[in-house]
Amino acid sequence: MIETLLLVLVCIIIGGLLSSLAVHLMPVGGAPAAMATATGIATGCVMLMTGAAVTGLFTASTVASFWVTKPNVILVALSGAVGSMLMMGFTMFVGNLIYIFGAGIVPCSGRVAVDPITKESQTEYKTPRTDGHGVPPASFVSGILGGFSGGFGGALIYVVLVSDSYAHFSVATAGIVAMGIFIANAIIAAYNIGGTIEGFHDPKFKARIRTGLTCSLIVSVLCGVIIVIAMLTGTLAGGVM
Amino acid sequence: MLFAWMLILAFLAFIACMFEDLESDIGSQSNPNSQIQLAPEMGYIHRYFNKAISGEGLSYALSCTISGTIAMLILLQLESVGPKAAILAIPVGAAVGSLVHMVRSSVCHVGREAAHKRFEQPIYLDVLYGHLLPIATHNFLAVICITAIAYIQSNLGILSGVAGASNPFPLPLLCLIWGLTVGAIGSSTGDIHYGTERAFQDKPFGEGRRVVYHGQICRYADCGVRTSKDVAAFCAKYGGPATGLAFGLIVLFENWRTVIGMTLGGLAGPGWNPSLAAAWGIGIGIVIAVVLVILARTLEKWARNKYGPFVGE
Repeated sequence: MIETLLLVLVCIIIGGLLSSLAVHLMPVGGAPAAMATATGIATGCVMLMTGAAVTGLFTASTVASFWVTKPNVILVALSGAVGSMLMMGFTMFVGNLIYIFGAGIVPCSGRVAVDPITKESQTEYKTPRTDGHGVPPASFVSGILGGFSGGFGGALIYVVLVSDSYAHFSVATAGIVAMGIFIANAIIAAYNIGGTIEGFHDPKFKARIRTGLTCSLIVSVLCGVIIVIAMLTGTLAGGVM
Repeated sequence: MLFAWMLILAFLAFIACMFEDLESDIGSQSNPNSQIQLAPEMGYIHRYFNKAISGEGLSYALSCTISGTIAMLILLQLESVGPKAAILAIPVGAAVGSLVHMVRSSVCHVGREAAHKRFEQPIYLDVLYGHLLPIATHNFLAVICITAIAYIQSNLGILSGVAGASNPFPLPLLCLIWGLTVGAIGSSTGDIHYGTERAFQDKPFGEGRRVVYHGQICRYADCGVRTSKDVAAFCAKYGGPATGLAFGLIVLFENWRTVIGMTLGGLAGPGWNPSLAAAWGIGIGIVIAVVLVILARTLEKWARNKYGPFVGE
């Protein structure tokens, strides 16, 4: 029993940390990106990451139902990760289609002079008095990795909560609790980022990732302890929904 | 049969996200709302509808969950009628969700515009009345499609005749999931066409909107003064359909790779291997992601070569 409780706690902490890492990897431009005044996707960190994570959660729930009992944790988590990754990929790709064909803008970074992946110069393509625009290749790859990390984290929390080998919550309760833990971590990470970020190559990422992960660790431990208490007392066993 | 339902889901997703984006354009919700909010402060008195109930994801999650909950209640009440009850349950649910959305829109617009009194921005009653119906109707179409998607996915096993194809989440939770996603995508993609192009149509084409332009929105239409309804007519030509395409492709490929995985894993037969089915789904998904990265790079390279470096001051 204690091993199971510890395993659930550890999985929730890992899931929470991966969620926080994911939000830091997202190329988020917020409202300025909608006016092509900043590089990244034109929405907020929490909105984007939650959208991606729940897409992954949907696929994870379908894949988890492949097994009558005891779903394979790694395969379900990976299915969620790939689902989030695809959501991010299509969103960024269509976003770039609108920037390029709808507004005639070349995607370029505003934070680095050279794209770390393609090694191509960015500065001369940037509109003066903006912080870059569109989703350049480094940000695209960062977003894909972020989607993978966030989807894996969210689906990992879900599968340990729903599995009859671990927490054995009902499907709906496990889904809502996983979403709740994910959103708590995403909001903390969004506060840590404080505005826009371009991805792993952004100097902000290096400067703030430690603080973000530390805060996420605290939040995830708290969430994990609450889940463990719910498991011990049987409050959510079998589900309240 | 499973593939046929999958295509219906993708089509519904396309319609849902397109109308979600156009509805957010009509109401100036989400990110470009910052410009509508800033305009009176910069001396730009306007006739745009101004609502930012919340982020689009949360706003649509609420509308869709209300719709899904009402639909499920009706379905439970009419259980004896069978699947035909969905013909009544889904539109009624979506109508209630849209009505609630319309109420929130009207309160939000009036509240925001009243706060602009200090900048001499009036509350135009014709703008308020004239936009509520388009907001409600566009919202209705988005919500009805999302509720239909959720209904099909939660009953896919029965509808397609393939055991185990249904999603285990209940209808309202699926509505919440797809409501969040449709809002997040509409906010991330479609807003660009409105915020970058339509809201600043009198500024030079082909450049990012400089910070000095912020708040200086385009207030005149082809004929007369522009309202948010003119924005929808413009964005329906590119931004809206492109946004619909994003969500449609996500739903299509997410379902497609799962179904292909299920088929290769021995679909509901004696040789059913869940690990193999999941592994195939993951593998196909990774291949699609790699193709997307290559496509994105090709597109960016094409844009760099075609448009060239920034020219001007």
